[in-house]
Amino acid sequence: MRKKLTVIPERCSGCRVCELVCAISHAGVNNPKKANIRVISLYPHPVIKMPIVCEQCKKPKCRDACPTDAIVVTDGVVTILEDRCISCHACVSACHIGAIFVHEDIDTPFKCDMCGGNPKCVAACPKKAILYVPEHTLGQAHRLASALQYANMQEVEYFEHGEKKKLRYAEIETGGTRGDSR
Amino acid sequence: MSINGGYFMKVLHVDLSDCKTHIEEVDEEFALKYIGGRGWGARLVWEHLKEDTDPLSPENIIVIAPGPLSGLYLPSAGKTSICSISPTTGIYGDSNIGGMFGVELRQAGFDAMVINGKAPELSYLWIDDDDIQLKSAEKYAGMGSIETEHQLREDIGDETVKVASIGPAGEKMVKMACITADWGRNAGRTGMGAILGSKNLKAIAIRGTRDLPVADLKRLTGISDKAYKKLSRHNLFEFWQRQGLMSVIDYANTAGILPTHNFKDTHFEDAGKINGDVMELEYKIGDTACFGCPMACGNVNLVKDGKYAGTVIEGPEYETAAMFGSNVGISDFSAILRANYLCDEYGIDTITAGSLISVMIEAYEKDLVTLEDLDGMALNWGDDESVMEMIRKIAFREGVGDTLAEGAYGVIERWPQLAPIISHVKGLDQSAYDARVAITMALGYATSDIGAHHARAWPVAKELEMGCNWDLKEKADLVIYHQTVRPLFDMLGVCRLPWIELGFDENTYAEFFSAAVGIEFTLEELLKLSNDVYNLTRAINIRLGLTRDDDRPPDRVFNDPIKTGPHAGKVLNRDEFREILDIYYQRRGWDMDGIPTDETLKASDLEDAIEYMEPKRKAE
Repeated sequence: MRKKLTVIPERCSGCRVCELVCAISHAGVNNPKKANIRVISLYPHPVIKMPIVCEQCKKPKCRDACPTDAIVVTDGVVTILEDRCISCHACVSACHIGAIFVHEDIDTPFKCDMCGGNPKCVAACPKKAILYVPEHTLGQAHRLASALQYANMQEVEYFEHGEKKKLRYAEIETGGTRGDSR
Repeated sequence: MSINGGYFMKVLHVDLSDCKTHIEEVDEEFALKYIGGRGWGARLVWEHLKEDTDPLSPENIIVIAPGPLSGLYLPSAGKTSICSISPTTGIYGDSNIGGMFGVELRQAGFDAMVINGKAPELSYLWIDDDDIQLKSAEKYAGMGSIETEHQLREDIGDETVKVASIGPAGEKMVKMACITADWGRNAGRTGMGAILGSKNLKAIAIRGTRDLPVADLKRLTGISDKAYKKLSRHNLFEFWQRQGLMSVIDYANTAGILPTHNFKDTHFEDAGKINGDVMELEYKIGDTACFGCPMACGNVNLVKDGKYAGTVIEGPEYETAAMFGSNVGISDFSAILRANYLCDEYGIDTITAGSLISVMIEAYEKDLVTLEDLDGMALNWGDDESVMEMIRKIAFREGVGDTLAEGAYGVIERWPQLAPIISHVKGLDQSAYDARVAITMALGYATSDIGAHHARAWPVAKELEMGCNWDLKEKADLVIYHQTVRPLFDMLGVCRLPWIELGFDENTYAEFFSAAVGIEFTLEELLKLSNDVYNLTRAINIRLGLTRDDDRPPDRVFNDPIKTGPHAGKVLNRDEFREILDIYYQRRGWDMDGIPTDETLKASDLEDAIEYMEPKRKAE
């Protein structure tokens, strides 16, 4: 059974523990800027915190964009072969969610390898915002999130400098998380 | 024995007057003696100290110091201390800030930065690793803190840049101005934002990419993996994530320490309308955490309807909810959110603002001031619109707001008749915990090195739990213990909440520190260093003219018995307080005027302070 990573942004607090554990285990240093996962935090309009991590596409655009065939898919994991990579960053631009990273200290771009089947970020996330699920259930978290979002998406009207504006927001769950992660 | 991690051993010095920077390499003795954060800040302030420096002059320095643990993989390591001579109190002041800002400074390769001088025009500092530039901030003049952060990120073109900024209140040197970072995280107390304003420094933007040095990363990771796991298994962990410090409203109200109507009462009838449950069920739309923190105490709240609809803010936490709720008689949570938003955007401290506004409401109620004094605007308990207007007037120094902007001392100077109803120590307004129920809390406020703030000591819960009738010596020791262990967190650059709220073992911090620097330290050794820093800040304050008379809790604590709630009738006794203060000085190794003795200073390796203390001692 093959598993994949997926995220529930509504749960993310933006603490970046995922970045820390990832960088320590992969780059061997305490530097969240060398992690294979990144949390994007935006505020105040809209308020969103979202971990960005490779979705391990089966037909990856990063692979197609690579001029030296340095990106391969092995056992469901999109891998950059360092010896073939010329670090042109074509893959970085090609990724539709921005899940391939670069750092001036590191010669080649780097990305999530799912820790060989035991992702550290999943275990470490204090908000259970990152899930590691069987591939066939992939989308379930999103389906749940969509349903919740549809059910709870609200709109508020307000006035700013006399101008009528609308702000959309999702009601968060209350009474604790009740996701499918535990 | 040498340091193998934890520090870059670098302090960035910025002189704004001539736009110059230099990087100071610090030595091991300094690093380990003062640890970092507040410790480094206090020492740097001491070394630069002149008795006649006006806090708002270019000569005053301001130190921004994360700690050696800031940014490391361990629970809640996102704290940074900001230290200087406070314009609010005229003595040593510091305030700490969470979020991500200090971690980014560390990633740029600096353990701390010292800002000196005054920029010729309104400017911001852009630190892009070792590329440091002073740039014009004219474009951001008068802009709110939240908006400034947003605009700067957009103009720099990187949403991940970390920004600390001041709002219009800081620019106008309002003495309760704070420094805001990461959307609503504030170094709120002691007027640090006014100092940036006096230096024409609107903001500091940072982007850092470096590895944080750790001597034994494997060991640190091992300890931290367990630490995170332990915290996540605590039975209050999820509740904490949901409500954070807002849960304290119910505790404080039940315990009878919730400031109500300018600290007259300690019990608020409508507490159930402004508590954590109301926030969670009706306003909360998301969580926020500081760097590496599993507890995520930050709550993002949105007002969905009514006159404040559209207000979205990270907060309030307990202090803000109490000071702009019960303490001004407001029982509408959306109004508290609005007040929180305005304070953050204008850049003023919610504790001091809430306190002084409640003072004016009581003053008007008791005819101690006239309607004319209030620029014709009546102030009444629970009138949220006039509270919002007062916040604006303070921030922009308009009318009566200009007097309030000078802090407790400024208000007393104009209206001496208000002195008995202002709850402050040394010019800093009291935090949101009543002190009449616990003499330890009064002692903690009275002897805090920055004024009446709970960061140094919060013994009220313990005293209430133990019952009040125990030995004064033990009570004094409890305060000293608090004043030693709590500031240690600020020195290390971590948050104390895992320890306070989820019972996390404080000994683990010695392990974190040992793993980071590669030298073994016990908690006792670290506490000794923290105590040394307390003697240092005391020495700073004595040099600046502080006397025993200043170690005095607010008058209300002795004069006005609590009227309602579980502690009705309770008031503290002046003689008993004098007695516990004597004991406290004795236990600290200070003389009966509150000046550290030569022996105490020597034991704290502060020989260089001795010569400054001698002239302050009264002739025998």
